[in-house]
Amino acid sequence: MKPKIGIFGLSGCWGEQIAILNCEDQLLDIIGAVDIVDFLGGSSVNDAESRLLVSFVEGSVANAREEAKIRQIRERSDLVVACGSCACFGGVSAMDAPFERPKVIETVYGSNGPIKSWDIGPHRPLSDFVKVDLAIPGCPMETTEFVRAVSALLNGDMPLMPTYPVCLECKMKENECLLVQRGLPCAGPVTMAGCDARCPSHNIACIGCRGPVEEANMASIEQIFGDKELPKEQIKLKLRVFAAPVLDRTEERG
Amino acid sequence: MKILKMAKHDLDFFASVLPAFGEVYAPVQRGKGFVFDKPSAWSEVRMDYTRTILPPKKLLLPPRETTFSFDPDQGFTDNLAEASKPVVLFGVHPYDIYGLNILDRVYAEAKFPDPYYIARRRATVVIGIDFVPDDKHCAGSMNADFVDHGFDIFLSDIGDDYLVLVGTSRGDDIVVKSGCLMQPATEADFAEYKKRSRIRRDSYKTKLELGDLPEILEMEYNSKVWDDFGARCLSCSSCSMVCPTCYCFDVTDETELGNRAGRRIRSWDSCLLRTHALVAGGENFREERSSRVKFRFYHKQRGFVAEYGRPSCVGCGRCVEVCPAEINIITVIETIRGERDGISSSAPASA
Repeated sequence: MKPKIGIFGLSGCWGEQIAILNCEDQLLDIIGAVDIVDFLGGSSVNDAESRLLVSFVEGSVANAREEAKIRQIRERSDLVVACGSCACFGGVSAMDAPFERPKVIETVYGSNGPIKSWDIGPHRPLSDFVKVDLAIPGCPMETTEFVRAVSALLNGDMPLMPTYPVCLECKMKENECLLVQRGLPCAGPVTMAGCDARCPSHNIACIGCRGPVEEANMASIEQIFGDKELPKEQIKLKLRVFAAPVLDRTEERG
Repeated sequence: MKILKMAKHDLDFFASVLPAFGEVYAPVQRGKGFVFDKPSAWSEVRMDYTRTILPPKKLLLPPRETTFSFDPDQGFTDNLAEASKPVVLFGVHPYDIYGLNILDRVYAEAKFPDPYYIARRRATVVIGIDFVPDDKHCAGSMNADFVDHGFDIFLSDIGDDYLVLVGTSRGDDIVVKSGCLMQPATEADFAEYKKRSRIRRDSYKTKLELGDLPEILEMEYNSKVWDDFGARCLSCSSCSMVCPTCYCFDVTDETELGNRAGRRIRSWDSCLLRTHALVAGGENFREERSSRVKFRFYHKQRGFVAEYGRPSCVGCGRCVEVCPAEINIITVIETIRGERDGISSSAPASA
């Protein structure tokens, strides 16, 4: 019998589920190897009860309902994989971290908006609530990393995720350095690789969507931005777009 | 060694015989930089390039290569046929040929010869050209601005002609194939070569003293300057990626979906990365960033000297060009010699 897996979306744009459906060349191999029994984004008939070998979960946890959902997913799954930067770090919707949510809502929708009654708290990564066995960051995650992860997990292995910054892959592709040679605000040196330097390869400075590398040297990169007459705070703001909770906690730790 | 000459305006005729010896790679422009690539027309080839973003290492030791594939039924199949495809690498500067010669010492002549590197090196025709140094080149100081081996043909600019040094019998085959393009060189050509050789040697704007550097590095092992460099280093690994003599690699396996077949992949690695000296159990021999920066320069300028009799830096200036934090062969040697006061006045305080 094929192992059963589930694919779930919490608060996010469902981009990872679309990324999975976009694995067109591998879709037949994927469903040949596993039974996708619970996947609201791909099927209207789902089995919400069975035990699962792996659950792939995208999106952040934004309220009590989603917290209950992720705890229930964890309970029925041998392995939980956080897919995409929302699930891994909180993502774009966690950008407001230091501000009070009601104030943010008021600023955006006005004091008489109906939105105040919505049950939406701060957006937090899955790992704030449950044990996450594997994190595949990215906005969206790379389909190649998803397929590699499925294949490794089925072999009883953990896929090796990159721990090095985007620069390594960018140099391997022999791109001109956008930060050094062009003075563009590229977050590559402090951002986790794995995207094969997707944006710099199209002459677009890295926006840090895969989150900071573990030992991101923020003091030095701020200094370098300053030397290049780029606003120093820009690099931190860039990284906060996708991984604010992670950066804020690193700062608290000092 | 045979020495001939060839008129510069005959270069495109000369180029037209090269595809008979392999797929031709030559320096072409990409953005504001240069790369070794397959030119779509010979007019794209830039004889005046400064340096390529990646060194020719990329063709002999690819950034990511499949060394073999495996299958539960068929065992494993190596990738040597792919590695043995003939290539002509045209327009290599002498310091980069020197870099290949250093890779030869490590990959071909050492205790464990590497079949993939050797296959590629054997299948690669190297045609060198000379160059005018810019302010980042320090090949003169590294004794890597002239090479006497490691190439098949070397072209030196002597005005209207190139002086053609034939380094191997394969180079001679190319000369024979190019027929009447090659003429005997004259006394006057040699005189012109010597004059230009002198001018080139004197035109280096960057000079570094290597003389007692291993000793000075020994003295400065516990110096605070390493902490300062460590505080600046981003561990981005750009310096290693672009270095013609960085040869560390990592090996990983990738399996296919739904079965146990797969590939073994070898990829460039860097000693600046935290995982380079991380071992099972979580112990890290170079946990501190400063110890990794230090390791890189001690390996190039001291360890390699002890083992192979010369530093493994060839003075190409690529690390000078790419390091966002300005930690490079020039700033490090000048700082460690006490001839320079750090990198910038506003360096972040060491952690």
